Amino acid sequence: MSDLTGLMATPSPWPGLSRPSTPSRQNCVGVTDNDVSLQPEAPVQNGSERSRADGRDNPGHHDRSKLRPVKLLYRAFLACLILFASPALAKPTRLVSLNQCTDELALRLADPENIASVTWLAQDAGNANMALAARDKPANQGTAEEAMAYRPDLVLVGAFTPPTTRAMLKQIGAPVAEFDPPETLAQVRQQIRDFAAVIGEPARGEALVAEMDRDLDAASVDPRGPKLKTIILRPNGYTIGPGSLVDELLARAGLENMAARLDIGTYEQISLERIADLDADVLIANSEIAGAPSLATEGLNHPIVAALSHHMRVVALPARLWTCPGPALVDAVKQLVAATRDLRALAQAR
Amino acid sequence: MTPGADKAHAGLLLALGFAAFAVALASLFVGYVHFDVFTAARDALAGRDSIEALALVQLRLPRAILGASIGFTLGLSGAAMQGLLRNPLADPGVIGVSGGAAFGAVAAFYTGLSAAFALALPLGGVAGAILSALALYGLAGRGAGTTTLILAGVAINSFTGALTSLALNLSPNPYAVFEIMFWLMGSLADRSLPQVALALPLMVVGWIAMLSSARALDALTLGEDTAESLGFDLRRLRWKLVAGSALAVGASVAVAGAIGFVGLVVPHLLRPWVGHRPGRLLLASGFGGALALVVADLGVRVLPLQPELKLGVLTALVGAPFLLALVFRARRDEP
Repeated sequence: MSDLTGLMATPSPWPGLSRPSTPSRQNCVGVTDNDVSLQPEAPVQNGSERSRADGRDNPGHHDRSKLRPVKLLYRAFLACLILFASPALAKPTRLVSLNQCTDELALRLADPENIASVTWLAQDAGNANMALAARDKPANQGTAEEAMAYRPDLVLVGAFTPPTTRAMLKQIGAPVAEFDPPETLAQVRQQIRDFAAVIGEPARGEALVAEMDRDLDAASVDPRGPKLKTIILRPNGYTIGPGSLVDELLARAGLENMAARLDIGTYEQISLERIADLDADVLIANSEIAGAPSLATEGLNHPIVAALSHHMRVVALPARLWTCPGPALVDAVKQLVAATRDLRALAQAR
Repeated sequence: MTPGADKAHAGLLLALGFAAFAVALASLFVGYVHFDVFTAARDALAGRDSIEALALVQLRLPRAILGASIGFTLGLSGAAMQGLLRNPLADPGVIGVSGGAAFGAVAAFYTGLSAAFALALPLGGVAGAILSALALYGLAGRGAGTTTLILAGVAINSFTGALTSLALNLSPNPYAVFEIMFWLMGSLADRSLPQVALALPLMVVGWIAMLSSARALDALTLGEDTAESLGFDLRRLRWKLVAGSALAVGASVAVAGAIGFVGLVVPHLLRPWVGHRPGRLLLASGFGGALALVVADLGVRVLPLQPELKLGVLTALVGAPFLLALVFRARRDEP
């Protein structure tokens, strides 16, 4: 922490680090504040909004508020300087994650001793892919107060972190990195790289992306083969439409999303009646979230879902595989392919 | 009562009952997809498991049955409570019986009790409804003024609403906390036949208890002493009505959430048609309630809203202004 405090006093390193891991000249010069999946703005705003109390804690921060009027290029230049000079120094050692999906990325990419806290959701094996690794980490409920108690040098938040929480974090001067849910496989890869860069582990990010791509290609079926008509039923009767990441995964598994024919948006409610009427080959239903009951998941237990299994293949897929898009997507594709292998063979023979 | 009035009453009951049945039948033809209902029905009767037959039997049929029976429950309970408390504003929703039932059902459902023992869900609803009804009777029993009754209802509603909210917050399931709307507003979307099997028998027992009190309720309009001198056991009457309405309302709320105002509006509209006799109002309100709720449920399906409007939203949009009008009239009448 001590040597890092010095580092934090230098102009924000994050905009530079948020770029793809291998620093190139173009990346450094091209740093902008409009990165979709990451908010490089955040740490910079910290400087300007910082209260006097924080300034006392961390006197070096004073320089940053003066940076506000300075051109972006200057910041980018400094960022590159740090990146090239000593990337190891940029590694935060007290990461606090306030979002289930940043939990997973942190647990996959960061050194375990550098993670100060993850959310309580990450420890539930029914909901989270990295529950085992999260088990011995202190859990938080996603609030700013808890985050500050760990004296973080980087707070990881998601799109669903309440604006009040984010504003509070900025006000008290914590460096914040935001990661929104990716909507395409390309964005998944980019997010892993961005995340790895932010926590100072670019090589691990590259390796994870390469591994995921290799496994995904191995799991995918031949796109020229027959397509099985598929519809997804999620808790509360939602289905997932075209233009989504899940849609891309279905294509990888040789499945055609019927939501596209129904003029359904990316994420929309569908009545059980319409699902019954679809004449699909495959119905993908979330397998029950382990533990407590809810009406949301009760719809998946409606007798008609069981009755429909005489007409279509009902595949139960653990929601955690695609709740936080990442390497677990490969398992989702694998399970879908395995559950429909015989149907595909049948369609091929026809 | 003249034979002519009896005949007119029988005619009214017949018309309401027939209309409720016809609308419930018609609701089988309304849904989110179009298919040939007659073919589906033939398939279902022949035991053919076609998709259309499944949609008809597993989705539309339970919805129609629950719509009609819950409407019947709400209309009948409203009429029974108005007769018992001799207060025109008594309605299971307004006075907190539905709220208590919702809490009871929520407690049974989210603790996992009903997953282990299915009947726990309606029984939880019934227990909650009985507790609310007893609390209300204690706070604003026999002949209390309208203000006392409404205030007691407001207090019970707030308290049971808070308890429901608490129970949902305590659930470790991340979806639970968003489900308060179902319990407070009610819905018939995607209900199932097993839910009909759970709730309907309890409702029927409640109906019988309430309907068999008709003559005693009529006598009660003459005053408690007169009713007792006519040979009616008022203690027994109170218990029968409280237990009957709690059974029916508790079971209804457990499968469809708390749907308000049907029990307030329907008896009011029908009262002039039955010569203001609370006993006669019972069955008429039951049929009227069934008719009203099935029509409302058709409404939420026909309205082009996504996600589907909660049924209680529609009944409250109609019912709450009605309640306001009643309060306004009451204010004008008592100087």
